[in-house]
Amino acid sequence: MPFGQIGAWSRRDGAERLGVAAFVALGLFVGSAATSAGAVTLNLYSAQHEQTVDLLTKAFTKETGIDVKVHSGEAPELASELLKEGASSHADVFFTENSPELELLSEKGLLAKVAPATLANVPAADSGSNGDWVGVLARENVLVFNKAMIKEGELPSSLLDFGKPEWKGKLAIAPTDADFLPLVGAVAALKGRPAALDWLKGLRENAAIFDDDEGVVAAVDRGAAAVGIINSYYWARLRVEKGADQMQSAIHHFAGADVGGLMNVSGAAALKASRNPAAAQKFLAFLVSKPAQEMLANLDITFEYPLAAGVIANPVLKPMSELSPPPLTLKQIGDDSDAAKLLREAGLI
Amino acid sequence: MAAIASASQAGIEAVGVRAVVARPPAVLIAAALLGVTLVLLPILYTVAEAANVDFGSAASLLFRPLVGRLLLNTISLVIAASLVTAVIGTAAAWLVERTDLPGRDLWSVLIAAPLAIPPFITSYAWVSMSNALQDFAGALLVVTCAYYPLVYLPVAAALRGLDPALEETARSLGESAWGSFMRVVLPQLRPALLGGVLLVALDTLTEFGAFALLRFRTFTTELYAQYRTGLAGPETSLLALVLVALCLVLLFAEFRVRGDARYARVGPGARRSSAPATLGWVRFPVLVVLCALGVATVGVPIGMIGYWLFQHAQAATSAVAPSLPVLFGAALNSVGYGLFGAAAALALAVPLGYLAVRFPSRWTVLMERSAYLAQGVPGIVVALALISLTVQWIGPLYQSPALMVLAYAILFLPLALVSVRATLSQIPRGLEEVGRSLGQNGYSVAWRVVAPLAANGLGAGASLVFIFVSTELTATLLLSPIGTRTLATEVWANTSSVAFAAAAPFAALMLCLSFAVTWLFANRLSRTAFAGRR
Amino acid sequence: MARLSVKRLTKAFGGTSVLRGVDLDVVPGSLVAVLGASGSGKTTLLRLLSGFERADAGAIEIDGQGVCRAGVHVAPEKRRIGYVAQEGSLFPHLSVADNVAFGLPRSERRDRSKVAALLATVGLPAAYADRAPHQLSGGEQQRVALARALAPAPKLVLLDEPFSSLDAALRVETRQAVSAALLASGATALLVTHDQSEALAMGVEVAVLRQGVLAQIATPEILYRQPVDIAMARFVGEAVILQGIVKGGVAICALGRLSIALPAPDGPVSVMIRPEQIRFLARPSADTPWARVLAVTFYGRDASVLLELEARAERVMSLVPGYRAPKPGEEVWLSVEGAVMAYRQAEGETALANSDPREIAQFRQKSLSAAAFEIKEHLP
Repeated sequence: MPFGQIGAWSRRDGAERLGVAAFVALGLFVGSAATSAGAVTLNLYSAQHEQTVDLLTKAFTKETGIDVKVHSGEAPELASELLKEGASSHADVFFTENSPELELLSEKGLLAKVAPATLANVPAADSGSNGDWVGVLARENVLVFNKAMIKEGELPSSLLDFGKPEWKGKLAIAPTDADFLPLVGAVAALKGRPAALDWLKGLRENAAIFDDDEGVVAAVDRGAAAVGIINSYYWARLRVEKGADQMQSAIHHFAGADVGGLMNVSGAAALKASRNPAAAQKFLAFLVSKPAQEMLANLDITFEYPLAAGVIANPVLKPMSELSPPPLTLKQIGDDSDAAKLLREAGLI
Repeated sequence: MAAIASASQAGIEAVGVRAVVARPPAVLIAAALLGVTLVLLPILYTVAEAANVDFGSAASLLFRPLVGRLLLNTISLVIAASLVTAVIGTAAAWLVERTDLPGRDLWSVLIAAPLAIPPFITSYAWVSMSNALQDFAGALLVVTCAYYPLVYLPVAAALRGLDPALEETARSLGESAWGSFMRVVLPQLRPALLGGVLLVALDTLTEFGAFALLRFRTFTTELYAQYRTGLAGPETSLLALVLVALCLVLLFAEFRVRGDARYARVGPGARRSSAPATLGWVRFPVLVVLCALGVATVGVPIGMIGYWLFQHAQAATSAVAPSLPVLFGAALNSVGYGLFGAAAALALAVPLGYLAVRFPSRWTVLMERSAYLAQGVPGIVVALALISLTVQWIGPLYQSPALMVLAYAILFLPLALVSVRATLSQIPRGLEEVGRSLGQNGYSVAWRVVAPLAANGLGAGASLVFIFVSTELTATLLLSPIGTRTLATEVWANTSSVAFAAAAPFAALMLCLSFAVTWLFANRLSRTAFAGRR
Repeated sequence: MARLSVKRLTKAFGGTSVLRGVDLDVVPGSLVAVLGASGSGKTTLLRLLSGFERADAGAIEIDGQGVCRAGVHVAPEKRRIGYVAQEGSLFPHLSVADNVAFGLPRSERRDRSKVAALLATVGLPAAYADRAPHQLSGGEQQRVALARALAPAPKLVLLDEPFSSLDAALRVETRQAVSAALLASGATALLVTHDQSEALAMGVEVAVLRQGVLAQIATPEILYRQPVDIAMARFVGEAVILQGIVKGGVAICALGRLSIALPAPDGPVSVMIRPEQIRFLARPSADTPWARVLAVTFYGRDASVLLELEARAERVMSLVPGYRAPKPGEEVWLSVEGAVMAYRQAEGETALANSDPREIAQFRQKSLSAAAFEIKEHLP
């Protein structure tokens, strides 16, 4: 009778194992939850890269003793969460890679004013015009091209040229990366919405779609595409990961204030709904403080331009003074909502 | 055929279809309804949200070239994956069960091993090996490597239960070996084979992490992309609905094909087993092929993780190389959520299973079947629905660990339910009645008689759910409380920024956890494992 | 020790009527065997009694307490009825001792002496207490099941075909042990079976369930010798049916003038004779009927002989001790020993169906004398 063997004397085994395992893990789990309660914690909604944020939060905790809990995601997703959460949100600080989401939240009145001392550390043009968010780092939109497949001279002088049919099959883009949306916003601001839509439709025909800029830069480097539109620091990061002599690709900066040379600002803000406003302001101040900015500049992780006055960027990067970004204010770049719609209309999302 | 039919018959008889059904206690019905309600919640929410889109925009949203491309990608991958896994799974099953292949015991373990490796880990391994692996080819490779055990396990079990007398009769009537395989064996394998293939198809439809890492665009990756760009709203729900509809079609097909056979224990077994076919010199090329299979499906993930573990990372990743506290914290979270998730799923499943087994009627069967709908809803849809529901209506639950556990319970309720059903139907109803005749009321009987007998089976089911919860990615990404990191999210975060070396320790820990739990409940799992995964 | 009283118990499943008004009274301390063919509703009856099914109509009273009535249904665990199932149903995860002690209150469960005493009642050694159920033979498992059922001193013990899953060798031994245990414990018991010999051997009374009612309730002897109709006669044993007439209190048929067990009015009848009543005579007299032996089946202990009567080309079956088996083709002289049953033909085979089974059963018991009758005159 097969059944007899199944249940008979092995019940103790199975139940025992389960019981012990459950008891131990339960204890540990509850224990770890308990230990983290008590100290002041800051809830950070971060759209910046995890490694950068890790660096910063560790240094911050070391300096102030305030624990930081990070909720990561893409900026648009976090922004829409913050909008939905409204006044009952648990977030204290919002740190993005690009300005549009901060502009959006500022418009909706969800941000608290930044301490003037903090704002004074960075150029006024790189912070929110309402004084409710501060710029921390800046990055430049560039082209990455595979040296074997195309020469730098063959690259177009304007970003908008990529919509033309001769670029079919040569381009790689990441339209859903949060770094692309501000670019779309900038094109719309400079050339008008219909032109932007046409350009995007052209891109749809010409380009291979990737999920994010890392994918684009990796693809161009291995030769799957000739050119890619990215933010500069991705290339630098790949260079460090692979080794400089292994790189098959190089960077091309747009000249002549073309929209392709757009500078994006990575900024941070304190939420009005924050339960720890003092700690939030401390964090913002920390982000633009000299030690933190120098750390970001010198460690080969971020490769973005620190915005604090008097801090020199990583020598690998082209000096900021030599760049020629288009003459757009952050407000003009907008809040990405129309950019997302444009992408959808063009069929890229 | 006789053995399989008798297996389902045994299953039915164990249920006690003597048209003798008392009324189940109200508490039990309420508890069971809870599970069904929770499963239906995300589906209903998605439908309600999608209904907000008016017909015109809905049409223009759905009939876009992008959607057409996604459909093409998805359907072609599903078909290709189904075919490839069907062939590989059946061939492997036949080799292990029916030939004199050397080392069969080892092969059977190795072949089933990929089930313990989440697809996105396989993806991570292949992608980190060669960036050239992209698009359709890459997706097909990864999906095949990850899912072919879903075909292998049921087919192997069916082969074990076959009555050799049928084939011998065919041979005595003049049929060749190949002919008797095609005309006698294969038809008997059909339910198991079809069931396994449909599960592969279903899992391919709902998979997210693996495709995202491979940059292969499917509905799930598209939904996530929309969410990331802040577009989550009625339009996203509409897209989600298309995906859910596809999944449900597959789910219903799977039910028609496998139906009750999904719970039947494999009968009392065939009277005797058939003589194994001799392979002769063919065994050498076969062994080579099997080795290659093992290397590709198990060797590559483990090997690549090992490789990256020992790569002292480049600067981009080294300064924040995973410190022990982060590693430990993530592991603890994975284990903790795994346990709670498994407990919650089981808690929801037990009343449903008990009702279905002890009080079979049209309504209880309907309730049980509804619970299986959760298999047709991708993790991302459940997560998005829960986020929207809690942020609007149940504030305290939003971003709480409880919500995470709830999501896991919903996602893995079908998995738990299969185990519960199979375990309970093996306990004769007579035992409970005897217990009651000896003066013990319902609860006492449940505790003193049913629980001890079901413990082993339920334990195996719980461990299976544990493995899937602790390696779950999508819902965890969207729902985890602030600051919570699990092994899965850490692997994801690192891999998507090309920091393979940083991802390796987390991936290694995940695999260790998975394999350890599998080993603990090994023989039990093989019977319940093929019931499906997310 | 309790009295069981069942009145007009009715149950139907999905339109099919299974029990149609069962009436039964069981005297305290006795074992009643319920005999019925497969599907006759015996198990349903037990399930109604133990409370696992609800009756559609009727009443059940145990020891004067109504456990089942219109609007009242006492839960199984409150009825204090022991149940021994067809396959024992011992709990596989408990030892024999834990099984037996299962129904006892918590304080008494550890009492090894009580367990040992119960095992002794069913004829098992106390050493079995620590064994696992799967280590016992089928018969031993059934005995443990009985001990378990008896442990909480139930008012009533129900046994559902407890020996049908045992092979023949174990059956007799287990039956004896079970009978002895029930007798010793003084419990009132109801045993359900489809095996006629088992019912006749074990029951103080036998109740036959047929078409949803109890067609006859009688002591084994009465049931066997005086079945209520021909169908019953055939059900309870082998029956030889001959046509004949009753004249003046005597039945006249091809086997001569036979005395009848129950009075019947004059007229045409069907006469029911048990095969073992047909004996071979060594010395015939002038009017002794004789027959030719057509076939003999030898069973060892006895032999059944197929005979063709010379008078009327009728075939009858006779059962004789094995050592007296004749050879095919032989001619033998026959006589009938003991009283026979006569059933009126006019009302078909259920001649006595309208009468209360109890009445017939309680009618005069004829003592079974071994006198041989001789035919006085031939049939017209």
